[in-house]
Amino acid sequence: MRFSLLALTLLATSTVTSIAGESIQFNRDIRPILSEKCWFCHGPDAEHREADLRLDLELKSGPHDIFSLPVLKSEFHQRITSTDPDSQMPPPDSGKTLTADEIQLLKRWQEEGAKYEGHWAFSPPKSSAPEKAINDKWSRNSIDLFVLKRLKQEGLIPAKQAEKHTLLRRLSLDLTGLPPSKTQIQEFVSDNSPDAYELAVDRLLSSDQYGEHMARFWLDAARYADTNGYQYDLEREQWVWRDWVIHALNSNMPFDQFTIEQLAGDLLPESTAQQKLATGFHRNHPITIEGGVIDEEYRTEYVVDRVATTATVWMGLTMTCGRCHDHKYDPISQKDFYQFFAFFNNVSERGLNGFNPKAQVPSPYMTRQLEEINQAIDAADQKLTQAAKRAGITRNQLRRAPPLENQWMVVVPDKMSSKGKADFNIKDDKSVLLTGANIPNDTYELVINSDETTISALKIEALRDPSTVNGGAGRGSNGNFVLSEIEIEVASADHPNAFQKVKIATAEADYSQANYSINLAIDGKTDRTGWAVDGNTKIEDRTAVFSFKEPVGFAAGTVLRVRLKHEYGGSHQIARFRTALHRSKKPPTPIALGNITSKPIEKRNEAENRQLRDWWLVTQGSTEVREALTTLQQLEKQRTQLSTGYPATMVMNELPTPRKTHVLIRGEYDKSGEEVQAATPSALPPMPAEFPRNRLGLAKWLVMPNHPLTARVTVNRFWQQFFGTGLVKTAADFGSQGDWPSHPELLDWLAINFVESGWDIKALVKQIVMSSTYQQSGATSEESLQQDPENRLLSRGPRLRLDAEVIRDSALFASGLLSTRVGGPSVFPYHPTGLWQEINNRPGYSRTYKQDSGEKLYRRSMYTFWKRTVPPPSMAAFDAPEREYCQISRSRTNTPLQAFVMLHDPQFVEAARHLAGRMLASADDDTVRIREGFQRCHTRQPTPQESRVLLAELNARREQYKSAPESAEQLLAVGESEVDSSLPPAELAAWTSVARVMMNLSEFVTKP
Amino acid sequence: MNPHQQTNELLESQLLTNRRHFFARGGMGAAALVSLLNPQSTAAGSSLAANNGPGYGPGQPGPTHFPAKAKRVIYLCQSGAPSQIDTFDYKPSLEKLNGQNLPESIRNGQRLTGMTSRQSSFPVAKSFMPFRQHGKSGQWISDLLPWHGKIADDICIIRSMYTEAINHDPAITFFQTGHQQPGRPSLGAWLSYGLGSESADLPAFVVMLDKNTDPQAQPLYARLWGSALLPSNHQGVKLRSSGDPVLYLNDPTGADQNDRRRFLDSIAKMNQLRRESVGDPEIDTRISAYEMAYRMQTSVPDLTNVSDESQETLDLYGPDAQVPGTHAANCLLARRLAERGVRFIQIYHRGWDHHGGLPGRHPKLAKEVDQGSAALVMDLKRRGMLDDTLVIWGGEFGRTVYRQGGNENSYGRDHHPRCFSLWMAGGGVRGGMSYGETDEWGYNIIDRDRYGVHVHDLNATILHLMGLDHEKLTYRYQGLDYRLTGVEPHKPVKDILL
Repeated sequence: MRFSLLALTLLATSTVTSIAGESIQFNRDIRPILSEKCWFCHGPDAEHREADLRLDLELKSGPHDIFSLPVLKSEFHQRITSTDPDSQMPPPDSGKTLTADEIQLLKRWQEEGAKYEGHWAFSPPKSSAPEKAINDKWSRNSIDLFVLKRLKQEGLIPAKQAEKHTLLRRLSLDLTGLPPSKTQIQEFVSDNSPDAYELAVDRLLSSDQYGEHMARFWLDAARYADTNGYQYDLEREQWVWRDWVIHALNSNMPFDQFTIEQLAGDLLPESTAQQKLATGFHRNHPITIEGGVIDEEYRTEYVVDRVATTATVWMGLTMTCGRCHDHKYDPISQKDFYQFFAFFNNVSERGLNGFNPKAQVPSPYMTRQLEEINQAIDAADQKLTQAAKRAGITRNQLRRAPPLENQWMVVVPDKMSSKGKADFNIKDDKSVLLTGANIPNDTYELVINSDETTISALKIEALRDPSTVNGGAGRGSNGNFVLSEIEIEVASADHPNAFQKVKIATAEADYSQANYSINLAIDGKTDRTGWAVDGNTKIEDRTAVFSFKEPVGFAAGTVLRVRLKHEYGGSHQIARFRTALHRSKKPPTPIALGNITSKPIEKRNEAENRQLRDWWLVTQGSTEVREALTTLQQLEKQRTQLSTGYPATMVMNELPTPRKTHVLIRGEYDKSGEEVQAATPSALPPMPAEFPRNRLGLAKWLVMPNHPLTARVTVNRFWQQFFGTGLVKTAADFGSQGDWPSHPELLDWLAINFVESGWDIKALVKQIVMSSTYQQSGATSEESLQQDPENRLLSRGPRLRLDAEVIRDSALFASGLLSTRVGGPSVFPYHPTGLWQEINNRPGYSRTYKQDSGEKLYRRSMYTFWKRTVPPPSMAAFDAPEREYCQISRSRTNTPLQAFVMLHDPQFVEAARHLAGRMLASADDDTVRIREGFQRCHTRQPTPQESRVLLAELNARREQYKSAPESAEQLLAVGESEVDSSLPPAELAAWTSVARVMMNLSEFVTKP
Repeated sequence: MNPHQQTNELLESQLLTNRRHFFARGGMGAAALVSLLNPQSTAAGSSLAANNGPGYGPGQPGPTHFPAKAKRVIYLCQSGAPSQIDTFDYKPSLEKLNGQNLPESIRNGQRLTGMTSRQSSFPVAKSFMPFRQHGKSGQWISDLLPWHGKIADDICIIRSMYTEAINHDPAITFFQTGHQQPGRPSLGAWLSYGLGSESADLPAFVVMLDKNTDPQAQPLYARLWGSALLPSNHQGVKLRSSGDPVLYLNDPTGADQNDRRRFLDSIAKMNQLRRESVGDPEIDTRISAYEMAYRMQTSVPDLTNVSDESQETLDLYGPDAQVPGTHAANCLLARRLAERGVRFIQIYHRGWDHHGGLPGRHPKLAKEVDQGSAALVMDLKRRGMLDDTLVIWGGEFGRTVYRQGGNENSYGRDHHPRCFSLWMAGGGVRGGMSYGETDEWGYNIIDRDRYGVHVHDLNATILHLMGLDHEKLTYRYQGLDYRLTGVEPHKPVKDILL
């Protein structure tokens, strides 16, 4: 009755490994037994080794010659078959026992000489050129030759090729994480040319969605998240790094470069900003802000995390065992661990609040946008040049504006009066000082008679005067003034009473008090607001200029009537002023440019010259020039925003003097042992002398062509992506405890080929999907499940539940809601209320989820904001990890909570409504409409039986919603997007129900 | 006897022979049943459906390692760490030591947190509340928890708990997952994996968060009830006190039960058709997952609707019993979950982390939990459920006997890993006893090697009571066998078992 999970696993794997009638292979047949049953006490861990006996290495003859002949008399055999608790091996208290089959295998091994082999994964891949059998009509490429060979050995034959629509669905989901569009299906299904499939592969590989989808797997491995993890889990902004990954994968950056830049981009000679950005990879780990911790304790954790992640992702090794003791199964000593640790121990970081170092680097997608804007700017500049030419502006004038000449003329008003009957005193400098009566709110009226026929602006200077409270320019009790409103009227001297209002285009002041902008003096409202100048604290002369919409003036002479209204109260009126008129049809030079014009020409910088030029161009009166200039200026403004509006992201750096690294006794941060230097594990090929002993050297070492692990582990991970299980099932453990590969020669061939291709990821992916192996039908029968239960022999196509992100994206895609914008900050789609606050409501240390609206609700799921302590709930239900640590595979479960998401998450209900709209718009016939929706969801036509079920559902719902319109309304109200009001609600609701059925089918969440 | 119990007993015999009983009640096709019941016949069943199947059915196949005393656990986690000095660790010796500086010889190199590492003196503070004896057993409990007096004879107070972590995040993570850093399955996930569920329409592992009222409370994190390296269907399912009780449980489209049934039937029909054409047994699993979802839409509201509770019961839990999100309301729900066969029920109460103003703030927290916690034990007992329901109450570490900052009234207590108190009741634990003792300063455990209860020992004890050997409940991941209780030797605390 005892039936442990372990036994189950062994049962399953034994179908993959043992091949009847063949001679014993140590690595395949014996190593797993010794590793599992013996090495815990007789393995690499020196400290816990019993009886000084090591069974992980070949025994030299001597006192431990336990494999003496005859086999049945040897100590080894005696011990493993003994029933005496004192001599029995493994001992009873170890909890380990050998099965009869295992004992048999060990005996055969002894009979064949008890020969050891080095662990397969630590020797370089072996090349074996597969040969194609003459009668082999199935194989398309080398992958198939290996697979077919193995199938033949097992007496199996490959499944037939999947149907075209199935194939396209599988391919699209695998390469882009999205189902194919309707057009793509039609094109592919109707294209009978031999290269139709390859064309589809190439099209998908070159789409932006390919990089997004591939990056998504990398995000799990890189434990990417938008929050810091641990306790308070507040936001960070590493999305710029995520953009880097998408971009690198889309541009098919070779995997060796992808590795080097992420591990050590900062250490490359003349490293670029983008290469520094890439190193964000190893800053993605959680960082604590918990007040009580000790810096070094957590800094140590971060370094350990980097070791674990690097070892898992590139080498498939469980190195963290070495943190506390020598590895029990693999030749990784504790010292090896800390030598590896030393590579990552030199960042200028802290444990508590360790968010530095950071760098502000634009996302490559911003860089792309920047390039586009720069091109647009060039074009706009060209346009301006042409427009200028047409307006008679010379190239020289375009380069540098001619001197700007102002045409101001100071005038003393001819008539002056005030509501409060103040006295006006004209001074020598043509200014006017008010004395005498000083009512709380006074209005001055000035009349100016001028011979000028073209006046484009009025200037008012408010001047300091010793007679005021504080020697400033205001009559207020505190020395300030508020000009509530200015009104200007104009009349011809021959009709001096026919005043017309002068429209003021702009007002400008050399200084305005906060909340008392000069614009408030021309806002048409005579109230307490207006132009003020902090006259109580800042005693200065101030200037305001009012430019007219059109120049004014009359041949007979011009009369201007100006009212200065003060309504703030407390006698906040101007004490002394001087007026001037701008005698020109051009507006005056802005005051802001005055500072520039007053500088000697040679002291003006580029930007200042540019400002002057732009202003001068505006005054030249050509609409075409003005418009061209505005376009140019807007683009330049966009460029500024784009190039400064992105966050600093965490990156790696290297301390000038490396930190000392010690072996940490029992892995504890404060128990230093022997000092060590950075080095790679001794069981693996040595690092060439010319490589620097830092992260750069390490990265280069990892991608050395003869590195036994990196290429194997990497191709295996890609294989896992497509087939659900790697050729090595334990994709994260290529050590002794890892599974024996189902197709060792294929794995090696893929690895060698990958390296020889220049680590070309797209080529590898293409190779996989072009194989007949990949293109097999995924259908199963009782028989096929019996023969190849987990499809480890690859006797059929991969058939797997889709990942969380792909499920949500598929729904958005089928409905037409999906936004395909690439890159950028994370977004906040629909989310149950209160989830963030219920786990953390500490003021200042918690956040409320703020849902986005509009397009951001429909971005691809990889952009959904990832909070580690509350991962996106609809995705967590579908096995998405928390991202607190590196994970390179997800579990694939099937739970009622997933049903709830598909049934009730507004995201899916809303998507169904939009799919319903698409169905309704596609045709008038219900059956045709059903086909439309079904194809968008499942990439195939429904069978007549399926159509009947869906039609029945439709008709039942039509009845229901007709009789209960309010329930139709309720269904349609789900989601933020507007309901198409041109469609009858009951009809749309009925179709929405049909769409929901489609999206809730097992098929919708399955790669076929 | 209530109907749920009857159902459970009925199930018991099925459970012994097959933990996949859920499928038998799922109303699914015979073919699927065969494949799910016999993992060997279709190993795809073993890799996907059997291990991952609607979540709440199968655990580790086979019977328990030894007969189980407890069938289920209710864990009342006091997050933030209540002070043992002021609750359960009765220390008359502190009367005379009160105000004295903790001698260096007693502190003996204990690491301090960043909060008190710069403090110049460490004056000890006796309990701010008097202790008195309760029940026949005469257990000493402070007046901070008056209701606990009533369960003194049912609880076993462990005064010799100790842990390795000194800050909240690593300490509570250690308690719940056996490891200070993220990445290991939680206790509830291990039990779900090891034992599966007894309930056909509720998950094996349910988590409830009491609404937090303390402005400086420590947050919680999904990893505390996560499954980490175990398949994710073993993670705790949150039962929420506002919004959807289970995420996405409520139908936003306003469909009634008949509509939902018809709708699911359409889905099931379509899935069946597909199943016939592609032969994927995973489709059966999905059909049954939808069926269970359908049942949960009834079973969860039934569960949370306490209108069938007698007034007497409601009174037992106190005025909060019908205020959703309070500790009392969640304790009542815990009992209802236990009745329905949920394997592991975890309640978190936050806010005990009082670095300042402890004498003023602890009473508020105590009042929030005291009656509910005690009522739960009493309620289980009078229903005959305490015998096979294990209840646990405690925080992630203790608090220092010495004052952190402040004066006589405004002081707090810092984190203390070397000794603290926790209680267990029912499920095979001896009631009315105290276990372990601390020194006269209330700072160290006396004879820790003999009487100290390490977090791993506690978890080993919980597994033991559930019939599982903590060294044998392992899961192979990345080539290594993981277990809850780490690699060092630890053992169940046999002294406290019945």
